[in-house]
Amino acid sequence: MRAMGRGREHGSSILVAALSSAFGVVLIQVTGALSFMISADNIGRSTTVRMMLAIVAFVFIVIAVYVGSIVTVNTFATIIAGRTRTIALLRLIGSSARAQRRAVAAEGFWVGVVGASIGALAGTAMSIGTVRIAVAQSVVPDLDYPLFDPLIAAPILIVVLSTWLASWVGSRRVLTVSPMQAVGASGELSREETLSRTGRNLTAVVLGVTGLLLLGGGVLLGLISPLGILVGMVGGMLSFSGLILGSHLVMPSILRLTGRLLGRSASARLAAANALRYPERSSRATIGLVIGVTLITMFAVAGASYQDMMARAQAAQPEVYQGVDKVVAVTVAIFSVLIGFSALIAAVGMVNNLALSVLQRTRELGLLRALGFTAKQVRRMILAESTQMTIAAVGLGLILGVFYGWAGAQSLLGAQDGVGVIAPSIPWLLVVLCVVGAAALTLAASVSPARRATTVSPVVALAAD
Amino acid sequence: MEITPSELGLVARVTNLTKSYGSAPNTVTALDDVSIGIRRGEFTAIMGPSGSGKSTLMHIMAGLDTPTDGRAWLADTEITAMGDSELTVLRRRRVGFVFQAFNLVPTLDVRGNIVLPFELDGRRPTVVEKDWIEQLIDSLGLANRLTHRPYELSGGQQQRVAIARALATKPDLVFADEPTGNLDSRSGREVLALLAAASASYGQSIAMVTHDPIAASHADRIIFLADGRVVEERGRSSAEEISRIMLGMEQRV
Ligand SMILES: Nc1ncnc2c1ncn2[C@@H]1O[C@H](COP(=O)(O)OP(=O)(O)O)[C@@H](O)[C@H]1O
Ligand SMILES: [Mg+2]
Repeated sequence: MRAMGRGREHGSSILVAALSSAFGVVLIQVTGALSFMISADNIGRSTTVRMMLAIVAFVFIVIAVYVGSIVTVNTFATIIAGRTRTIALLRLIGSSARAQRRAVAAEGFWVGVVGASIGALAGTAMSIGTVRIAVAQSVVPDLDYPLFDPLIAAPILIVVLSTWLASWVGSRRVLTVSPMQAVGASGELSREETLSRTGRNLTAVVLGVTGLLLLGGGVLLGLISPLGILVGMVGGMLSFSGLILGSHLVMPSILRLTGRLLGRSASARLAAANALRYPERSSRATIGLVIGVTLITMFAVAGASYQDMMARAQAAQPEVYQGVDKVVAVTVAIFSVLIGFSALIAAVGMVNNLALSVLQRTRELGLLRALGFTAKQVRRMILAESTQMTIAAVGLGLILGVFYGWAGAQSLLGAQDGVGVIAPSIPWLLVVLCVVGAAALTLAASVSPARRATTVSPVVALAAD
Repeated sequence: MEITPSELGLVARVTNLTKSYGSAPNTVTALDDVSIGIRRGEFTAIMGPSGSGKSTLMHIMAGLDTPTDGRAWLADTEITAMGDSELTVLRRRRVGFVFQAFNLVPTLDVRGNIVLPFELDGRRPTVVEKDWIEQLIDSLGLANRLTHRPYELSGGQQQRVAIARALATKPDLVFADEPTGNLDSRSGREVLALLAAASASYGQSIAMVTHDPIAASHADRIIFLADGRVVEERGRSSAEEISRIMLGMEQRV
């Protein structure tokens, strides 16, 4: 029974670890095969090409692992929130908080090992298959490609370690569970308590401000040298990390805005209140989606702005930039697919987090049912909550993505002749796709757990932990 | 022509109620042919040892659960014939609840919890209802707690909020399941006195489930349950008398 519960809790973390590790393995195997092909062709160029490919693969693996880690941190935090009573009970009968946290981290370690292994197997099979198919289709020459690139150990190891670390970070709330909570009611932090955690908040603000300043510096520097991108990248990463760390401060204000859109029915008002009153819970559920949308938008805007700038540069100096637009288009397309994978990981996290948090609220929903909320009203309330969070997440992600994408393109290419400062180009089709995709996700993430939550009788729900 | 429950002065009534869980060899019979009536305007205690079927009985009477056999009425409405959505509306408008724990919606403040039944009904309290709610808030000593959230309140205060919510719609019947089960004896006494006062001064019908003789001693009438059957019925009794009856019941088993 307990093992089954754990399986459901950890299913998505295992999936996230497996996706990241499969992604890493495929990227490394395929780039390995590509370099092998090139080296068979032309010995001289092979080392540089191999280096370049490895760096690109590495960057995308790191992005995927970063997204996966944040998703896993959030999943573990959600799981811990759901286990508060059990942990409190164990604390009550004498277990130490540190022992409890170690136990959670051990679970995280095994989640990482299982997920990374599954991913490694799937990834290896996929990459060997891909190469074989490519050979059979005569897309690539029939060479004696290596079956295993020893480098694949790197992503597997990184995934195990990052999952382990993520479970450790995500379980820090174990330390704040007091034995008293075994007897009292729930334990989510309220906004007031959240605001009072000054250490974390201060770090978030410092990271955010430093990051933004660096990003601004990168854009300015980009007007004279392409090296601006390096400064800008550091700034982007710092400011985004600051945002994630401080999401519980930012999200409520955005949620308050989107909550107004839901209308004034009892379901809608309760939903708006729920999303707002537990900033921790709603930030956990939304931040994954924010990251996913930000990444996609960022790359799309950067790509479109990049193409724009290239067009300008081409107009200024046609002979230098001849034929470059085709290369740019292909690069942008490949990068979009690669980044789409990280977005997929973020989506898995979001769906799971919403589902988990609905399951954890069985009792609260049972109370509402007992007091006279119809099953339909409860479902509508949960849907309204998810909708509100999705709108907030997608909106924020789009704004951030446009900003980061523009800053990236600007700091890389602002120095080219005839470019200067340009407005960001926004690929509207992508924006629409993002919104549609997010809406589908919301439905997927909330309809089935809401249905499950309302099919149990209120009596059973009220007796739940 | 059947005699209606209200002609008998009853606000709720069950006849030949049976509830069993599980299938064939492992059936647990929680209620075994129970027939009782709850009198309008009275504070009734349903008393019995743990596992005797008190909560099950209350859940069926309140339209939260369905019996295996038998019928139940709230006032003159037969609830055993109702579907889920009708029952939901009935609970919202005509029943009040005070549970042992986890009574309040954690996301709502005190006032939000008290007016929740109106919200669920998709309406605002009328002027008369507002006056009534203010009166309740005053008499339950919650006036300076209205913007607090459940986790900021003591157990006794939380139960008082639950009582205010249960009384706010002036329901036909308020059900209370071990309302003092989680409280220290002083807060417990306060809560019981408040329930008794609601019944005495506003004529609110209340059915309270409890295994505690002291709690039952606040009631006008006590129905004793053991092993899913009604075994005794008494008028107002002292805690000592009730304990004696309980002991006698145990010896008979
Ligand atoms: N969902 C259920 N499944 C199986 N047995 C149950 C269930 N709910 C209650 N029971 C059984 O029914 C009996 C009466 O339970 P309950 O009404 O909760 O008793 P009380 O409230 O008097 O302590 C007990 O034996 C209990 O184990
Ligand atoms: Mg009980």
